[in-house]
Amino acid sequence: MEQSETITIDGVGPMPVVRPATAAEVADVVRRCAADGTAVYPVGGGTMLDYGLPPARPGVAVELRALDRVIDFPARDMTITVEAGITVARLAEITRAEGLHLPIDVPDPDRATLGGAIACNVSGPRRYGYGTFRDYVLGITTINDRGELVSAGGRVVKNVAGYDLMKLHTGALGTLGVITQVTLRLRPVAEYEGRIEFTCYDTDSMVQALEVLHSSETKPAMIWAEIGRGDHIAKRWWTVRIRYETNKDAVEWQLEQIQKELTAAGVKYSGVEFARSPDAGVRPGQRSSDLKFVFGTGLRPSGLASISHWGWNNEAVLSIWGSGYVWGSYHITDPGRWNESIVTESQAKTILSELTDMAAEYDGNVIIKRCPPEWKKSLPVWGRPPADLALQKAVKRALDPNNIFNPGRFVTDAF
Amino acid sequence: MAAVVTDPLTTRLRSLLGSGGVITAPSELAVYECDAFTIAKNRPSVVAFPTTAEQVAAIVKLCNELDVPFVPRGAGTSLAGGTLPVGGGVMIALTRMKKVHEVNLRDRYAIVEPGVVNLQLTNLLKPHGYHFAPDPSSQGASTVGGNAATNAGGPHTLKYGVTVDHVLGVEIVLPDGSIVRTGGPAGDPTGYDLTGVIVGAEGTFGVVTKIWVRLTPLPPAVRTMLGIFNSIDDATNTISAIIAAGIIPAALEMIDNTILQAVEAAFHFGFPLDAEAVLIMEVDGLEAGLDREAERVMEIARQHGVREVRQAKSEAERVLLWKCRKQAFGALGRLASSLCTQDGVVPRTKLPHMLHFMREVEKKYRLRIGNVFHAGDGNIHPVILFDERDADQVRRVLEASTEILDECIRCGGSVTGEHGIGVEKLDFMPKLFTPADLEQMLRLRGAFNPEGRCSPSKMFPTAGGCIEHTRPARGVAV
Repeated sequence: MEQSETITIDGVGPMPVVRPATAAEVADVVRRCAADGTAVYPVGGGTMLDYGLPPARPGVAVELRALDRVIDFPARDMTITVEAGITVARLAEITRAEGLHLPIDVPDPDRATLGGAIACNVSGPRRYGYGTFRDYVLGITTINDRGELVSAGGRVVKNVAGYDLMKLHTGALGTLGVITQVTLRLRPVAEYEGRIEFTCYDTDSMVQALEVLHSSETKPAMIWAEIGRGDHIAKRWWTVRIRYETNKDAVEWQLEQIQKELTAAGVKYSGVEFARSPDAGVRPGQRSSDLKFVFGTGLRPSGLASISHWGWNNEAVLSIWGSGYVWGSYHITDPGRWNESIVTESQAKTILSELTDMAAEYDGNVIIKRCPPEWKKSLPVWGRPPADLALQKAVKRALDPNNIFNPGRFVTDAF
Repeated sequence: MAAVVTDPLTTRLRSLLGSGGVITAPSELAVYECDAFTIAKNRPSVVAFPTTAEQVAAIVKLCNELDVPFVPRGAGTSLAGGTLPVGGGVMIALTRMKKVHEVNLRDRYAIVEPGVVNLQLTNLLKPHGYHFAPDPSSQGASTVGGNAATNAGGPHTLKYGVTVDHVLGVEIVLPDGSIVRTGGPAGDPTGYDLTGVIVGAEGTFGVVTKIWVRLTPLPPAVRTMLGIFNSIDDATNTISAIIAAGIIPAALEMIDNTILQAVEAAFHFGFPLDAEAVLIMEVDGLEAGLDREAERVMEIARQHGVREVRQAKSEAERVLLWKCRKQAFGALGRLASSLCTQDGVVPRTKLPHMLHFMREVEKKYRLRIGNVFHAGDGNIHPVILFDERDADQVRRVLEASTEILDECIRCGGSVTGEHGIGVEKLDFMPKLFTPADLEQMLRLRGAFNPEGRCSPSKMFPTAGGCIEHTRPARGVAV
């Protein structure tokens, strides 16, 4: 792999890249940076570098991909301890060999590192059935602002000794330390998987399908609805994908049952397709390399109806996860195909303002996942300030008083 | 330490809460001198019973003004001294804050006050097809607030997760008296997941006054099985094999012969008294495929030499089986005047080893140790039977406990799976964590509780406050 000597993060750079091979070397780098107040930007596979606000000041990028060892894999205990730089794909390969997996869908798994995915709290449509990283990180080791190796949690599946720093680092965007090692809870790979996919040509039908799923007797592992576009007679439609992961009897029963329930409720759906084991999966694949305007919000599931209508009416490319998470995106340059919408910076601002109000009604906050760095000066990258902002700032001050980790980038820097 | 009743404190608390909201009489305070960890006792100066978050905030501000420590308390079922009022001060009893503010079935959350009893919440939800999944054995008494403080577990957390997995947000009165809300019903916090660290902080970050809990649908079908074993090894090997086979049962509980005797005498379930161990194995989910999964579990038991394995014959038998398990501790009162319960965790494959180890400890210290525990999680609850009037026995109990927990650490486990550190296990923190780890945690505590006035001397051996209690003696707890 090409190892460039410098990196530009969200328009700030070039900054030197260091590639420590061990946690001790990471500690050494952090200690040296801490001594003269140099900012430390932890980097994994580099798939989410433009997430958050641009860096406040130049510093050193600490790339962790060389920390990719498996420390302990007691498969019969269904846990694994690995270094944080391991890629998500490599982790999946190792665990699958023992019939186990981490059931969190991470885009670009060949590049994305586990530590980076945890820091960004990446999740996917299977969060409906399996939850998020919050539910899987049992232990964590980080390098703190003093360059010390500090750990919390442990290697067993149940443990309440000490504060749960695993929760604190999950989604913290590396602002409280550099994650070097984690212990994960794993799940057995389901004996059998089945997926049903169908099309709804109007938003009302799709929303009705979500309602059926909410009260369904079936237990989906994944509910995922997306606006599709094309050059067909119908220019747009909703594709709904539902996946069941358990044993063969239960999967087959559920595939039958959900169709009965949809039909009984009078949902208009068509183009039903099935896929079955061994891997019936459609998982979110590569992150598009096109520069886009991408936003996301987690809200109460009852808000999905309003947002779906909004997205349809505003020609957004919308992706809905049944647990209540919504992704939206627009192109910012003409992709040269189909009929996809393009937005300008000022249009993006209007869109966000409308959407933010709507999401707030359902306790959601709209966050920008991607946009050109220069837009970030005027757009609300982190949405609205959280109610506990002052406390979050106190936590940051307590654990990184000199603000050396990812300065300028996080929620606590935005308000 | 002598509980000094400062007049201004009591007077001003009375004016805040009314005379019915404050207890100061020594006879009444005696109830609050300890929780279910009865070996460490200390009376609070006063017990206050607020009914609103604003009252809690006012109490906390008053404590700051008068420089008095304070500690929140739910039902007082902590097995680790989590609510012990170290250094006296004000105990903030939350048992009168028991409103359920909202139940939202569509979005699967409820907003409850901390004093709501765990089982009452589940009973409220059951007719609608939902429950609050954490089900500690104390659930008939323990509060949701207390469950959140200790990040409580229970038999069914094996499949459904511990308390933190079911808490979406909290309203907390911080130690400076400000009221803050973290998280919320949508479950995706913006910024740091403070809810995730407040849960399990054992009340050292402030006083939680409202909790957004996740509602979990009741499983449509359940199969509960009973396995009778002639040897402990067969039972623990069965447990390891079930987990290793990739089955996640709803619950997997073990009861050994010592406990079995007491439970049988109390509840007359019909357990064979010569069995060395009994496993309660439960699978739940959709009706479709469930019998096959139950059969797989029973087949694994058969492969590991089970004497007899069968399904519960009826719902009544299933209920009785769970009663035996959840009230096992109560039944033990028949066997000894004092009990010391431990809460160790080991990797699940180490269970056979741990059970052997405990037999050695039993012999070495000439004590009787029963075992009833969450086998599927590797969370052991050895119960040491003794007589607390005999000083030599007490010494042996403490030494035996230490040996057992040290062995849990050596096996790569922990000294507490669900009860918390409290004051009981302070000595073990330096064995689990390095000085840098502990310092990092204390720095975090400083962000919430800089003066250390809230729940002083809990969780960390060096957590400040005016410590003046005896060596943290490990647990004479029921």
